[in-house]
Amino acid sequence: MRFSLNREALLKPLQQVVGVVERRQTLPVLSNLLVHVGPDGVSFTGTDLEVEMVARTAAEDLVEGEVTIPARKLFDICRALPDGVRVKIEQNGERVAVNAGRSRFTLATLPASEFPTIDNIELVERVTLPEATLKDLMSRTAFAMANQDVRYYLNGLLLDLRDQALRCVATDGHRLALAETKLEAEISARRQIIIPRKGVLELQGLFEAGDGTVDLEFGRNHLRLRRGGVTFTSKLIDGRFPDYEAVIPIGADKDVRVSREELRSALQRAAILSNEKYRGVKLEVSPNKLRIVAHNPEQEEAVEELEARTGVAELSVGFNVNYLMDALAALGGEEILLSLRDAQSSCLLRKVDSDDTRHVIMPLRL
Amino acid sequence: MRKIIHIDMDAFYASVEQRDDPSLRGKPVVVAWRGQRSVVCAASYEARVYGVRSAMPALRAERLCPDAIFVPPDFTRYRAVSRQIREIFLGHTDLVEPLSLDEAYLDVTTPRSDLGSATAIARRIREQIRETTALTASAGVAPNKFLAKIASDWNKPDGLFVIKPEAVEAFLTPLPVGRIPGVGKVMDGKLAALGLRTMGDLRGWTVEALEQAFGRYGRRLHELARGIDLHRVMPDRPVQSISAEDTFATDLALEALEAPIRELAPKVWAATRKTDRIGRTVVLKLKTNDFRILTRSFTPGHVLRSEEELVDIALALRERVTLPASTRYRLVGVGMANFREADEVAPQGALFDA
Repeated sequence: MRFSLNREALLKPLQQVVGVVERRQTLPVLSNLLVHVGPDGVSFTGTDLEVEMVARTAAEDLVEGEVTIPARKLFDICRALPDGVRVKIEQNGERVAVNAGRSRFTLATLPASEFPTIDNIELVERVTLPEATLKDLMSRTAFAMANQDVRYYLNGLLLDLRDQALRCVATDGHRLALAETKLEAEISARRQIIIPRKGVLELQGLFEAGDGTVDLEFGRNHLRLRRGGVTFTSKLIDGRFPDYEAVIPIGADKDVRVSREELRSALQRAAILSNEKYRGVKLEVSPNKLRIVAHNPEQEEAVEELEARTGVAELSVGFNVNYLMDALAALGGEEILLSLRDAQSSCLLRKVDSDDTRHVIMPLRL
Repeated sequence: MRKIIHIDMDAFYASVEQRDDPSLRGKPVVVAWRGQRSVVCAASYEARVYGVRSAMPALRAERLCPDAIFVPPDFTRYRAVSRQIREIFLGHTDLVEPLSLDEAYLDVTTPRSDLGSATAIARRIREQIRETTALTASAGVAPNKFLAKIASDWNKPDGLFVIKPEAVEAFLTPLPVGRIPGVGKVMDGKLAALGLRTMGDLRGWTVEALEQAFGRYGRRLHELARGIDLHRVMPDRPVQSISAEDTFATDLALEALEAPIRELAPKVWAATRKTDRIGRTVVLKLKTNDFRILTRSFTPGHVLRSEEELVDIALALRERVTLPASTRYRLVGVGMANFREADEVAPQGALFDA
């Protein structure tokens, strides 16, 4: 196995795959990258057995073959090399030599046969959509994923393929984020898959600005996405996502229209004096007025008042201010609509003119 | 000056076994698992006569006392008894520091029970243990933990020994240094090599000389030789309740309790701020001039946020007292109870039912 290329051409694929490699590993080979040289170039594969990332690049001076090399070390070396230097990587028995300018490194290897790869994902559905759209859907929802929740099916992002639309849904059990887009092509059947949290974060790191499209391949137990020279594959969470539609409030008829930016900055200020643990703020609605009140255990108080379009006579509901701010950031747009019912019921946030993105937040009993 | 009681159950595991199996009574019983490397968990006093001791290899115990009956330990039963005695302790004070299933320090400087003296409390605890568990305990009463521990061992088994503050020096002077809890054979040997056999000998040394010889422990020896031990009884129990109460010089009517309640609540509130746990319930306690105790409590739907809220609820709880208006009260207490871990209180609503 041998290939040569300049440092920048090597650094980019390494950057794309090294994040998948966990620092602590149960299997030694999982700290390595699989380096495969074929007739057209070289591919690098990193995996943690859940998420696999393959990045390809062209190279010269090829001798076909494959071997695994310590991921972190190869990446760190490459990163520290001077700009524009030519790098030659060559296998010599059980070692790999990395030559660049006047630097020489010899790295240990493990056989490629020990490296677990995901080959056939048993494709059941393929969806093509603009990369910018997918990126947008995910960024409007992924923040609401649970982290290390015992309800393991919440530690990920739901892709709900239905009625010519793709929905992304995430919830940590206290708040829920939903974003959807219409699809051009037919879909064969409704499908729900849950991408694990790490897969979501890796995938988000992969998106680039531009107007290209991406193919989402729904496998029986995997999701695969090809983008440029990179193939991302993630195992799916084997579990049932809760019936999220049931928690999107329908009886919340106390509407409050308010400027998103004004509300966001008012919350940001009030948050300073909210309880550090519960992050509680109280929203007090009265005709054409929204008051935000925060207290902390030291008895300090913040009161913010802003204009709002509402006919609600009187209503006071507590919320975790972080949840509100997350939702406002993800919503975008000028004006937003808060739909409330009472102090015990969830609140629905969306844009005034669109239902594409919806956020549901449960109140805090203050 | 603090009042400390050290309670130590007598041959605890072995006694539980003898209690529960009459055929073991009066016989040398060794509680230990069978096995080459097993050690003795406990030995009945009948077995101790033969030199059998806790922590000794079981094989050695068998050699010393071939007639001993070996019983495997059953911690479920020991733990159940331990809970019973813990409850007894807590009836006398909140400041209980359990050292193991069968041993605890109690700080009874301001006891819950009004038995008059720490000695009376220790006597009462021993009675209660005998009544509820049919087991015996030895107790030591002293001004600090170090002396209380030595005292409980003094008249063991089934004994009580009190070291009064004024008797400390006389008690310690002839005491062999080996009696200091934690001083084992090695340390004893080192002390003996320097001619230090009794606490009196130890007292003849300056702190510098002892530090020179024993490092940091030298300072501790210097203090112990003088009967000084500042270690506090550290209750390991998470906070269950916090309260403050006040007995009046002259008995008061219900309406007149507002002032003392307003004085007590801030103390309680301040104390609740020092724990991570959250009290859910506000308690008002009253004692009438004929010594009837009544409590009224209220658990609001949210976590209390301020001292004012506590005061308001405590004052309002008076309305739930239905004794005749002529009743006079000699004591009022304000407290918070029903403490939970902050996470358990979970004021955040959930989208999906758990």
